[in-house]
Amino acid sequence: MSEELRVSSIETRGVPGKRRYAMVIDTRRCIGCMACQVACKAEYDTPLGVNRTWVPYKVTGKYPNVKKHFLPRLCNHCDDPPCVRNCPVEATFKVDDGGFVLQRYERCIGCRSCMAACPYNARFMLPSHRTYTPITNVVDKCTFCFHRVTQNLVPACVQTCVGRARVFGDLNDPNSEVSYLVAHNPTQVLRPEQGTKPHVFYIGADRNHTEYGRDVYRRIEVMESERAAWKKHFDL
Amino acid sequence: MGEYLVFHDVAWHATYAIYFFVIGIVAGLSFLSYASWHLPALRPLREKSAYVSFALLVVGGLLLIADLSQPMRFLNMLNPAYLNFSSPLAWGALNLVAYGIASVLYLLMMLWKKDEKNGKMLALVTALLALGLPIYTGFDLTVHQHRPVWNTPVIPLLFVALAFSTGSAVGALMSANNAEAQQVLRQFMLWSAGAVVVILIAIMGTTSYGGSAEELTFMLMTSGTMGLLFVGVGFLAGSLAPVVMLFAPTGKSISVILVSALLILLGSAAVRYVILMAPQQVQTLF
Ligand code: SF4
Ligand code: SF4
Repeated sequence: MSEELRVSSIETRGVPGKRRYAMVIDTRRCIGCMACQVACKAEYDTPLGVNRTWVPYKVTGKYPNVKKHFLPRLCNHCDDPPCVRNCPVEATFKVDDGGFVLQRYERCIGCRSCMAACPYNARFMLPSHRTYTPITNVVDKCTFCFHRVTQNLVPACVQTCVGRARVFGDLNDPNSEVSYLVAHNPTQVLRPEQGTKPHVFYIGADRNHTEYGRDVYRRIEVMESERAAWKKHFDL
Repeated sequence: MGEYLVFHDVAWHATYAIYFFVIGIVAGLSFLSYASWHLPALRPLREKSAYVSFALLVVGGLLLIADLSQPMRFLNMLNPAYLNFSSPLAWGALNLVAYGIASVLYLLMMLWKKDEKNGKMLALVTALLALGLPIYTGFDLTVHQHRPVWNTPVIPLLFVALAFSTGSAVGALMSANNAEAQQVLRQFMLWSAGAVVVILIAIMGTTSYGGSAEELTFMLMTSGTMGLLFVGVGFLAGSLAPVVMLFAPTGKSISVILVSALLILLGSAAVRYVILMAPQQVQTLF
């Protein structure tokens, strides 16, 4: 008895002739150097205060037995992206071959519906003043380095990752490194319950570190001073 | 345990809450104008509420456009080649435009032509399209699957109930010296504010039983400044108190009705603000 895998019309999983790019992030190898974040900033001149990729961390344990858990983050280029469903003018869309979720800057009206729809905070509003580019006042996010990948380069963050914690490739190709990693390791995605089918897979990401704590009435020690400094700096 | 996160901004800022508030009154006043064709007591309100709702529609439209980071591109929403029908915002834009056209026609028929027959029909069409306004604004929030409170099917119903209650409250303030109209509006306010009370209890009940994001949201909505606004102003002073006051034997006195109307307006603004902002605060921690 067999049944075909049922996928929604927008998904590219196992579709012959279509690529399905994905990133595998091995958190065991991430040392939190933030080189990826810097490489991304350099690649796109992403303004201060917003990020296409970022590396938050949690510290667990009691001194002297403490551990920092890094969780590099970026747009998941979801196979079933709620941001695309929610954009009223199709300014954000999914590329059929490759599965990149991209923005049409010239069409975006800045209604921020996509930001509200993304369960991962992957989107942000560009400020009104920028130095090297006229793209302002529209929503932006990670593009999986579409311009590099289509020229057979890996994304800037992957290229620069010193720990080789980030690996990029085509999941529809059984011989790719990402396919190998996903096949041979237990992997996690962020918020699987949202049905977004993310294309960023984590190895070694503990669910306790990828979710809000259940014990909500005990205040977690968010690095409030840093957040407050950001807020003050950007007048938010 | 400590944690470091980069700062995330919320998607929608408080201006949307003002828009929701205004558009709710727009819809509520359209209902009153339609009701005036069936309830003689409301007859003096027919033109007034149509006028005021149209004026507020213009204000609401401008608020909505000004809140876009590319205001002039609101035209993209009306471009059939761009429209994405899986987005509630696209439906909302169409609903708003259709409502605007219907209310202009209604005003013309009623005031210039004094055409009773078509006027009544257009009043019905306008009221039906007006019903779409709170429903679509509710859906704007409801479709976001990962947001506690927003992602409950009763949000559109809550917004419809708030539209009824705030529309009737504005109607009551506009006809302060008309005792007959006041009694009808008292009934409207009593039942719609009662519905708001029930829906708010239902929302908070389900939220407090949810997962960790829901728990966090519940905590935010019931403590601190948000708690004061939501529980204090929105629920107790702005929904429960008017219901009790209007239901009590003294509820028929004009002064009680007017005070209730003011409280309902205040409460609905607070409820909308907290429902918009609190579930977004939690998300910034992710
Ligand atoms: S992570 Fe967010 S922005 Fe990226 S595709 Fe998924 S829903 Fe869209
Ligand atoms: S902000 Fe731009 S990309 Fe996002 S939903 Fe609105 S129009 Fe679409």
